[in-house]
Amino acid sequence: MWALPVTFAGPGDARLTELENLTEAQLVEACLAGRAGAFDLVVDRHRRTVYQLCYRFVGNHEDASDLSQDVFLRAYRGLKSFRGGSSLATWLYRIGVNVCLNKVATKKPILEDLDARPHVDTGHEPQDERVLREERAVRVRAAIGKLPPKQRATLVLRMYQELSHEEIAGILDSSVGAVKANFFHAMGNLKKILSEA
Amino acid sequence: MTAHLTPEQFVDLAEGTQPESAVPHLAACDACRRELADLRAMMTAAAEPGVDAVPEPSPLYWSHLSSRVRDAVAQEAAPRSWRGQLLRPFVLVPSLGAALAVAIIAVVASNRTVDAPAIPSSPLVSSSTALVPERTPSLPPLAPLGAADDPQLAVVAGVATAVDWDEMMDEVAMSTADTSDAVASALTQDEQRELQRLLTEAIAQPGAREKLS
Repeated sequence: MWALPVTFAGPGDARLTELENLTEAQLVEACLAGRAGAFDLVVDRHRRTVYQLCYRFVGNHEDASDLSQDVFLRAYRGLKSFRGGSSLATWLYRIGVNVCLNKVATKKPILEDLDARPHVDTGHEPQDERVLREERAVRVRAAIGKLPPKQRATLVLRMYQELSHEEIAGILDSSVGAVKANFFHAMGNLKKILSEA
Repeated sequence: MTAHLTPEQFVDLAEGTQPESAVPHLAACDACRRELADLRAMMTAAAEPGVDAVPEPSPLYWSHLSSRVRDAVAQEAAPRSWRGQLLRPFVLVPSLGAALAVAIIAVVASNRTVDAPAIPSSPLVSSSTALVPERTPSLPPLAPLGAADDPQLAVVAGVATAVDWDEMMDEVAMSTADTSDAVASALTQDEQRELQRLLTEAIAQPGAREKLS
């Protein structure tokens, strides 16, 4: 697990084009064989998704960036154990959720200021309505951060990463019924937290 | 009236994967209708624009992230020094656990030796051949253990405060027959006495007690 050979390919390298044509399973094999650029390609394909997932758990760029790196490093270490029973994306999600839940369990996330968040263009929305909507968004985000870990993960994966219940069940190593129940209870708790705030 | 809807049914209805007409109970149950309305309202609130917004990093960020991962992977793949190997958690933690086990076993063993009741001499055995442990003249006698100022207990107490009991027992349980706990249990009294002497010397070093407290 520590001794995977690793070589890198530069941009424009003909070997990269060759790698891009590989199936996912072949790409994993190429990583394990230490082919130049193979793991780079895995990172390039999934970095945005992994970063967004991490950001939604920790709420700031710096932690999301560190966690993303951690996710890929763990993926690299565990590549030999990837059996291809699920997609690489699902497997990375699984690692990502575990890394993020560990992180938020040990350190309270520092949410970025409202001003650091992107302004969502909702057409001709009046200024005062936009302010109110953004305030509601902050409250909802804070409430999501107070949910129990599995409910929070389920909600993030379902509503924001837009995964199916089946995919979430695979990531959380759970049943579809349990995922739906978690989602239901997450919404109930969200309502409770918001009403107490 | 039929049973109330399950969480799974509520989610299917709220997400529209099951039509309300497929659940006749809903039309007859106010509580379930309210529950469904609440669920839909919360889903709407959670999906409001801005709640899930992730700021787009600078265009250069993605290649920077890839570089960071590449560097970390390259560092991982590079051969480690012997010191690096020793400091890896799955080497260091069992080693510390085993060392702690050795210390505890040694102290307990020497404590038992000191506190053991005297064996009455049998009339069949002369006093010179009674079953009393022989002492090596060159080694100092064991210090009495259990006193409040017993330095050996201070050593163990100092180490034990930093170690979780369950973790330590796991480490001890993970030890195999050729590891330190087996070695410790095989120590002779003289060897245990020597270990005790070494421990006493170690804690007599300047600043040793401060480090342990």
